[in-house]
Amino acid sequence: MHMANELLSVPVAGGTLAVAAGGLGLICRKVSRIVTSDKLPLMGVLGAFIFAAQMVNFQLPAMPGTSGHMVGSVLLSIVLGPHLAAVVISSVIIVQCLIFQDGGLLALGCNIINMGLVPCYVGYFLYRAVTVGKSGSMRTYVGAMLACVVALEAGAILVPVEAVLSGVLAVPFSTFLVTMVGVHFLVGLVEGLITVAVLAYLQQVRPDLVLEALPGRIRLSRRTVLVTLLVFAMVAAAGLSLLASSMPDGLEWSYAERPDQPGFKPIITNENTTIAAVDKMQGKYTPLPGYSIRGSSSAGWTSFAGVVGSALTMAVIWVVATFLRRRQLKCTTRI
Amino acid sequence: MGCCDVFAQKAIKMHHAYIDKFAYQDSPIHRIDARVKFIIAVVFTAVVISLPRTSVSILFCYAIGPFTVLVLGGIPLRFVFKHILLVSPFVLVLALTGPLYDKRAETVVFGPWDWQTTVGWLRCYSIIGKFVVTMLTLISLVSTTRFAELLAGLRRLAVPKILVIQMGFLYRYLFLLIDSAHHIIRARVARAIGKIGFRNETRVAAAMLGSLFVRSIDAAERINVAMQARGFEGHWRTINRLTIRGRDWVFAAVSAAFIFGMYVFVKPILG
Repeated sequence: MHMANELLSVPVAGGTLAVAAGGLGLICRKVSRIVTSDKLPLMGVLGAFIFAAQMVNFQLPAMPGTSGHMVGSVLLSIVLGPHLAAVVISSVIIVQCLIFQDGGLLALGCNIINMGLVPCYVGYFLYRAVTVGKSGSMRTYVGAMLACVVALEAGAILVPVEAVLSGVLAVPFSTFLVTMVGVHFLVGLVEGLITVAVLAYLQQVRPDLVLEALPGRIRLSRRTVLVTLLVFAMVAAAGLSLLASSMPDGLEWSYAERPDQPGFKPIITNENTTIAAVDKMQGKYTPLPGYSIRGSSSAGWTSFAGVVGSALTMAVIWVVATFLRRRQLKCTTRI
Repeated sequence: MGCCDVFAQKAIKMHHAYIDKFAYQDSPIHRIDARVKFIIAVVFTAVVISLPRTSVSILFCYAIGPFTVLVLGGIPLRFVFKHILLVSPFVLVLALTGPLYDKRAETVVFGPWDWQTTVGWLRCYSIIGKFVVTMLTLISLVSTTRFAELLAGLRRLAVPKILVIQMGFLYRYLFLLIDSAHHIIRARVARAIGKIGFRNETRVAAAMLGSLFVRSIDAAERINVAMQARGFEGHWRTINRLTIRGRDWVFAAVSAAFIFGMYVFVKPILG
């Protein structure tokens, strides 16, 4: 579910980065006001725990050969409270990006929102709503299960929305959405099962952890959560309606007029001048760049020269660097 | 999650031995200020991503930048490409949906050759090419910069203190906990015979995760006591003072010239 750079356009990447940075900044400010320095190691080590926990895999039923692993955001927000969990999970995502190259640098905003902020807060809210402060074990388990499924779904739905807003994919929005929702329903179920099982284990070994008594835990008032969720829902709805009105998808191109391809017969012709102008501009500036269309071979040669020239340049750089390093090594050994 | 976990695990296992090896080398690139490298990497990635969806050949020209940095930094290229392969499955799957859904025919002329293909394939190549170039950029940043320096740089770039400290702790204890996860996994492998069914499988995994969790919390408590005893007040003290020196300016200027030159001179020709 880690988004890659290539699935985003720069405006979408910038926008999500801004939202993630703003949200995370607010959370960090709140957390640093409440949390004392003795809780910092706990948060750090639990972040490392998430990494380690994702390595513990187990066989899935009915699908031999596939294995699942825990995501951990809901477990963490149950144990630590949503603010701390959001900081911890975000730090995990940033380290995954920087050190393990999981997900791109520009996609960090998307990834923090999809896998950090949204699951932590949504999961926490659902868990709290079901358990209502009581700690009957059945309630705890149902709450955790529901929280996992819905929280992961909420994050997963955002992926196709962001990709389609960027207009990078050729896949129709609905297909991508259905695939993501379907896959992450299963992922959520497995996550729910394992979270419940871990909670059951902890209830036997360290009941204090499940009973919301871990030092450093921050609770959230119900009203805050509701307002946050409401704002989030409104933003999501606004985004979706925007999406519905102007699908910036490759599909449009096949219907509209193509000034760059004289032989192309439009299925729908649009008389609207703005659209025509935009289309013309699009045709002028992105006519399948790098590749000549229909016969004119000069563009073909430029791209050829570009590729071969770049390859040669890199080869020369490599040879020179290797040569220099060898000489350097020789010098040092002689001394 | 799910589909890519096998690869993620391989990546983690591989990195355990490799990750610090190159960042702690010394080279002209390693000595450049972390902030400068970080900002250039972000800008370069953004420029590459903003290229049109079907342009492929220009990506080769853009690749010169991170390639040069990697070579100057003395990072073995085999390691780099092996690593890109490890993290590629998700992107590959999405790239390959291009040819499935976008079947508009297109003639490609490339030097003396020309052949018939579809727009979908061009998009697919473009996504893969952009992926490779941006990954080269990210790897050339991370494998030439120590993580502690990168964090200090990020702190100077106004990333919240608590997040930076959090990442510092995370990085410090990451490999320790991965090791103990390996111990637990090995213990399971040593004891498991045949298939035990999903119910038992879940129970075992939960016990593993639960004990790992309790262990982490206990470890955190000990670490906390030790750090309090040594006067930790919620911020790192470092000897290293970050200063932007002449060579940082030179690197920044050269990179800016490369990005700008590509954008102004090469992009209009190659697209």
